[in-house]
Amino acid sequence: MLSIDALYLIFFTTGFTVGFGHCIGMCGPLVVSFSLNLKGKNIFISHAFYNAGRILTYAVLGGLMGVAGSFTAVSAKIVGLQQGALIATGVLIVVMGLAMNEWLPFGKYFRRENHTGGIFVRGFNKLSAIKSTYAYFPIGLLLGLLPCGPVYTALIAAAGTGIGSPNALYGFLSGAGLMVAFGLGTVPALILVAKLAGLGWLTSRRLIYRIGSVLMILAGVVYIVRGIRS
Amino acid sequence: MLPENHIPGAYAGENQINCRIHDGPCSRSLSGLEVTLDISPKPVKAMQDLVFKVSLAGEGPDQAPYIDLGMPGMKMGPNRVILEKISRTVYEGKGVIVRCPSGRRTWQATVTVPGKGKADFIFDVIY
Repeated sequence: MLSIDALYLIFFTTGFTVGFGHCIGMCGPLVVSFSLNLKGKNIFISHAFYNAGRILTYAVLGGLMGVAGSFTAVSAKIVGLQQGALIATGVLIVVMGLAMNEWLPFGKYFRRENHTGGIFVRGFNKLSAIKSTYAYFPIGLLLGLLPCGPVYTALIAAAGTGIGSPNALYGFLSGAGLMVAFGLGTVPALILVAKLAGLGWLTSRRLIYRIGSVLMILAGVVYIVRGIRS
Repeated sequence: MLPENHIPGAYAGENQINCRIHDGPCSRSLSGLEVTLDISPKPVKAMQDLVFKVSLAGEGPDQAPYIDLGMPGMKMGPNRVILEKISRTVYEGKGVIVRCPSGRRTWQATVTVPGKGKADFIFDVIY
């Protein structure tokens, strides 16, 4: 039986290696969308907030797994939340893609300065204008729920740490710690992708934003379809 | 004699599947040892508790075998099923095959028999 310290190291390393493979493939479109939406401003800080939110969600999930000592018992209860997170992520990316080039449908209506609008319009406007650094923390909290194979694998290990724990608190902390180690391991790859997509190194950005918008909308639709089908 | 649902590696399809685990146990030869893997309950579904049973025919190892679960060509992180000795030649352990949101359903169970080597069982699971 491996010690908890060894497990933390193993899952930090796992996070690092899957970060440069699996995470870039699965979460890359999302991270690129954020960077394009920020248009070169505060990329590092915004992504740091996003990753902090994501890792906090991992930690809570890992803690719950550690307390329960069972992966399947907890995962069965959060499957609906994960499906919702996937669909919400898709909507977010589509809206960002539309807004980036001012392709919002009914643009005049949405941009009317004095309209009082309903919840839908206000929500749409807020989603399409996510430039605040701090806004990326709650986004990270939500997107930490996204279903992902390596995250599930880490959560199985987090549940394993809870088996035979002397008490619930120890189970929670050991499961949460393992997920924090895993989440931290994934950060370098995602920050690297975020910086590369930050476009600070490009001289002609207009065309890139246009292409980026189309790709974001397509990626968002894929997330929505996956969410509906999962 | 190999079980009916065993697909020899040489004839495995493009997706490398060499075991129809839903139909019954699968066997592979390994250094003069026949390694048989069975997973229950059936059909084998992702995201549920599964029992993995490994039976060995031939001279058994000193240490218990173990199983690493993963997807061919995709890193999913370490997911090891620890097996316990049930009888002289049979080992059993619990594990979970997770769901890959990409929709890919082909999984690989690599049975490591200490001192003998590894046997790969590649099969589809139900999501």
